[in-house]
Amino acid sequence: MREPTRTIVYTCPYVPAEWIAAHCLQPRRLVPLPTEGQSVALRLEGLCPYARAFVNDAAAENADGIVVTTLCDQMRRVYDLLVRGTDKPAFLLNVPKTWQTVAAQRLYVDELKRLGRFLVRLGGRSPTPAELVKTMIEPAGCAVPTLSPIAWASRPCRSTAVPAVSATGILPVDVPDAHGRDAHATHGQDARATAVAVVGGPLMQRDRILFDLIEQSGGRVVLDATETGLRGQRRPFDRMRLIENPLLELADAYFSIPDASRRPNSGLYEWLKDELVKTNARGIVFHHYVWCDAWRAELSRLKEWVGLPVLGIDSDGHSETNLARSQNRIRAFLEMLH
Amino acid sequence: MTDAPAQIGLEQWDRRYDRMHAAGLIEPVYGGPLGRHVADGDTRLLKLRYDNSPAALRLWNFLLTEEDRLQAARAGGKKLVGAMKDLGTVPVMAYSLDNVTAFYPDGAWWIPCVMELNAGLLQIADSLGIDESFCPVRAMLGAFVTEAHFPIPDLLTCSVGATCDDFSAIAQRLNGLGHPILWWEIPHRRVPEPDEEAVTLPGGFSAPRSQIEFVQAELNRVRTALEETAGRTLDDTTLAQGIAKANRVRDLLERLRRLAFTAPRCPMPALEMLIAEMLAIHFCSDRDETIRVLEELLDEVNRRVASGTGHLAPDAARVFWVNPVADLQVMNLLEECGGRVCGTEYLFAHALDAIPTTLPPMEALAQMALADPMVGSAIDRAARIVADIRRFGAEGVLISRIPGASHCALEGEIIGQIVREQCDVSVLEIEVPSITDATQATLCTRLEALVETVKDRRQ
Repeated sequence: MREPTRTIVYTCPYVPAEWIAAHCLQPRRLVPLPTEGQSVALRLEGLCPYARAFVNDAAAENADGIVVTTLCDQMRRVYDLLVRGTDKPAFLLNVPKTWQTVAAQRLYVDELKRLGRFLVRLGGRSPTPAELVKTMIEPAGCAVPTLSPIAWASRPCRSTAVPAVSATGILPVDVPDAHGRDAHATHGQDARATAVAVVGGPLMQRDRILFDLIEQSGGRVVLDATETGLRGQRRPFDRMRLIENPLLELADAYFSIPDASRRPNSGLYEWLKDELVKTNARGIVFHHYVWCDAWRAELSRLKEWVGLPVLGIDSDGHSETNLARSQNRIRAFLEMLH
Repeated sequence: MTDAPAQIGLEQWDRRYDRMHAAGLIEPVYGGPLGRHVADGDTRLLKLRYDNSPAALRLWNFLLTEEDRLQAARAGGKKLVGAMKDLGTVPVMAYSLDNVTAFYPDGAWWIPCVMELNAGLLQIADSLGIDESFCPVRAMLGAFVTEAHFPIPDLLTCSVGATCDDFSAIAQRLNGLGHPILWWEIPHRRVPEPDEEAVTLPGGFSAPRSQIEFVQAELNRVRTALEETAGRTLDDTTLAQGIAKANRVRDLLERLRRLAFTAPRCPMPALEMLIAEMLAIHFCSDRDETIRVLEELLDEVNRRVASGTGHLAPDAARVFWVNPVADLQVMNLLEECGGRVCGTEYLFAHALDAIPTTLPPMEALAQMALADPMVGSAIDRAARIVADIRRFGAEGVLISRIPGASHCALEGEIIGQIVREQCDVSVLEIEVPSITDATQATLCTRLEALVETVKDRRQ
């Protein structure tokens, strides 16, 4: 296979990096900064800060194509802004919300095939089954950015390749950030510190501070169940099924990622139940962005269900007051857990 | 009744009702003076202005007695189906079965307005973690908890996929409270690729054949659930008969809208027209009565148009209205500010289009579901709005944002841009919460500015 020269950016965990890489294109999962300045999406009341940050970063990024998904209504709608506001080729991947029917699973596979045709139009090459298998087994270049050390350690496809830092800040989080911190260095977590799980939707780069705040407050993140963490990662591939039908195995591995937006979203709670038991978390820090309905609505339900203390942290994605507020809340929460 | 058309308050209506009643007014069983609904807690009615025709009286009484009809249907042994996030597809199927009554639980979003927040539904939603960052449809959650506004249905369906996040999250919360839901997927309508078979949908959008087949399969799951609930078979013949009835409703509304939006004098005010349009999506729990209510309304409008009578000044600014309002009173406000509604897109334009009768019924319904303007891009929706602005000769566009609704953050911007580019008309965006009392002065100023701008541009 030839070396990829063209880059495709995306942020949704339901976009399989291996599928893009198998088309001889470089997948790059954006974890937005966000950047200000020239914007495709202005700051509007009701607009999810993450969706806005992604679409602006993607438009500004030196990429050859952008993949957006229908995982949430806001992302589905910022795609409209993207096609009107940039000349970059963009693709909207239909990710079914239902998951229990064969029809929904088939729709996802069909959508991946349609994505494949888009990638070919951008200069990619349709992979043979053997090439897809090879990419899935040796996923060099398919590194999934994460923000927390715990999620990094659990990644199913750790890559030795270190992607370059982009001008717009796509963070290859396995390299030091702008402040010289290594996001994945062992933080020397104190085993006596209170075990905490972080649960929620996607995080932006600036939100890595959440993990620092927890540690500084005497906590220890034992589970990163955010979209950029363990929860947003596919399950390991089944080698037998992979050989039989690599595309089906790829689709199944990604389609089973638990998320608040699935209907019903019982899979999220089943996954959380297992992980919370495994990690022995004593409390949960729940993060969501304002206007993110899918995750906002889960906070109360989680509190009723989980039987552990839950701290809700919301963020508008912009203001500095968020930081001080979050810091105070996290400190108080951990003080109570000690 | 030959009185000149006028908009009157509730007390005036009740006095008028007494006179009409004494003169031998013939009414359906749910008839009566409008004022009696205030005693049930519908206090917003005191602040609205109504058309003074018996047809409008019947329309209002029909709307405000839906709960009674649902209770009666259950007492009469009928099965109740709550069709959530469904703008005119599942109810067409459900009403094809004669022992099923379908309703629209999402309609509870108007309860905080009609009862002026006194029902406490929003507080219940708050307590369940569904706060004011969500659309007012969160009132539905409270209605399920209190069971005071509609009976708990025997079957709950909900479309998901290309729908707003608010409703999807609220329905999931409802599911988490123990209400089983049949989720059916409606994918984002996309443009067919060059090598795909394209189908033109009712209303003019196009979609790939594969998406229609997918939605048809999803609706077949709904059909099976309806059959299990009803204990009867819903065959294509029965379904075709149901579609014919639904098309009768749509045909009446089409004629009503064309007259109301294009007649030289406004023959029916915006508020009554909004209520009439809403009947298309769920028939207010009685499809046959919906037909009779609309027939009477159309007769009234025909009479007025023929006699050249109507409401509002002849030079009223012709405004196209985008999105339904959470506070009904705002429809009155535009008219008080010198505007007249000439064209609407209340999120369900597709439910006003005729369902194709030359196709197998399930395929026709799948096409209708995919024709939903909210299922596709805002760019598509804007195209339909542009076509209707031209069709009805609107001079300005009012986009009313629904507070907290996930689609409203961006689509108003896109629709506004496209309408300005293609129609060269004034566009104004307003936000309408469930009760606008605190912001009415500001709202009026903005509406007056739109009206003034429209009239200035005529010169």
